[in-house]
Amino acid sequence: MSDCSKLTEAILNGDAKASVAITKEALDKKTDPQELVSKYMIPAMDEMGKRFETGDCFVPELLISARAMKASLELIRPLLAARGAEPVGRVVIGTMKGDLHDIGKNLVASMLEGAGFEVIDLGVDVGPGLFIAEAQAKKADLIALSALLTTTMPHMRAVIEELKKAGARDRFKVIVGGAPVTQRYADEIGADGYSDNANGAVGLARRLVTA
Amino acid sequence: MNSRERVLAMIAGRPVDHLPNMPITMMFAGDQTGAKYRDYATDYRVLIEAQIRTAETFGFDYVSVISDPGCEAADCGATIKYFDDQPPAIDETQARLADKASFGTLKIPDPLGGGRMTNRVNGVALFKERVGREKLIEGWIEGPCAEAADLRGINTLMTDFYDDPAFVRDLFEFVVEMELRFARAQIDAGIDLMGIGDAAASLVGPAIYEEFVWPGEKKMIDGLHAMGTRVRLHICGNTRRILEGMGRPGCEIVDLDFMVPLAEGREKMGPDQVLLGNLDPVRAVRDGTPESIAAALAECHRQAGPRYIVGAGCEVPRGTPSTNLRAFAEYARAHT
Repeated sequence: MSDCSKLTEAILNGDAKASVAITKEALDKKTDPQELVSKYMIPAMDEMGKRFETGDCFVPELLISARAMKASLELIRPLLAARGAEPVGRVVIGTMKGDLHDIGKNLVASMLEGAGFEVIDLGVDVGPGLFIAEAQAKKADLIALSALLTTTMPHMRAVIEELKKAGARDRFKVIVGGAPVTQRYADEIGADGYSDNANGAVGLARRLVTA
Repeated sequence: MNSRERVLAMIAGRPVDHLPNMPITMMFAGDQTGAKYRDYATDYRVLIEAQIRTAETFGFDYVSVISDPGCEAADCGATIKYFDDQPPAIDETQARLADKASFGTLKIPDPLGGGRMTNRVNGVALFKERVGREKLIEGWIEGPCAEAADLRGINTLMTDFYDDPAFVRDLFEFVVEMELRFARAQIDAGIDLMGIGDAAASLVGPAIYEEFVWPGEKKMIDGLHAMGTRVRLHICGNTRRILEGMGRPGCEIVDLDFMVPLAEGREKMGPDQVLLGNLDPVRAVRDGTPESIAAALAECHRQAGPRYIVGAGCEVPRGTPSTNLRAFAEYARAHT
């Protein structure tokens, strides 16, 4: 198993070619795919999250690490699915209607994926109806909402109101983030959580799915 | 001392009657005249009316043609999504340079060719005619990292730094040349100072900033100085790790966003750098009170020292109470 520690290193270095090669080799040697994820990949992305939060790595490094992690995950996911393994949690994520800004949302999505969540990324300009429909269809645990504009923030409230109307508010935890969003706003609209950074969002999601 | 004279005196290191007041307003300004933001961004007459009204109502010392980051990209042929009452946005799924091969066919647009850049140049000329003697007129261009992100797609550019550094260098070179031509047109139309918005630069760390972004910003700033104008560098976001580089090219004004203590900027950039900022636009400005804003500005002023211009960290949000924004002018007028 000692070679697998190179998988952690490849992800930390953002080296997708190496992470894929190491993953393939490990799987050929019948290494437990779940072990690859939990012992080598999640710790790598956790470390990147910590570095990001302390200002020791930045968006480009986080994105290339996430890319390396995803490339390995592509190989592992079918094996996990075949044995019926469940993710840490399922998250439906997207940027609010009228908002095309997505780099913050993408960072959160990547970090959640790196933490073992199944992430259903709906992209940008997503209306409240689609968030709810997808969360229901995919049996999500969490709905994660992102906005960069004060003009698109109100759609976050709309998602929560629509969930209430549909009698589904208790079925999902709703978390919010983005430059103009504050804890005060999150409280005001009745969201379950708020984070001002990607690593914090992962911690928040972990707490909410285990609560 | 009128507004224009006050800002120019502060920049030149001469005595001022009181601190200049230069918060960035866009959607807030549009709301002052009831304009839809789409019209504000695309029709210079609407923007100019709203900016002048806002500057007069709230005691600003300047007016600006800043509107949204899509101006140059639109004229390069990027797909821009326009909304009725919020800023136009670049559709990254159809970024102009999503395919790197298309870079070869990308030509620098003529800033006077009738597109969105021309609209901005016309805005400068109208400012000059309306308030040129009284208010400082600020032009606006995108910085190298921001405009490269607008053309390539910000997510893709961030990985390009590692995947294809030569392409990034070529793209930055193209952007600097384009922006300097755009700047020339705005200078000829009558700006007193050019704002450079390089928000995407705050997403990279010091290594990438120094290797790729800083040389582009330096070339741009040197070019602007060579054309005889003054420069305000605005990089919103957390720039604590790149402060030293931001101070090196000698911009007349450097903005700092709210995550960056002004004392750190002062320490890294030296005693002569004019610093502008830096209240948290949402928590301190929109959600604050006149009293809390006065206290926060006093702390900014204390940290920055006398070479200081009153402002927020970034754009004053739509929905900010009028009394809160008036508190900026009240603080500025009472202090030197």
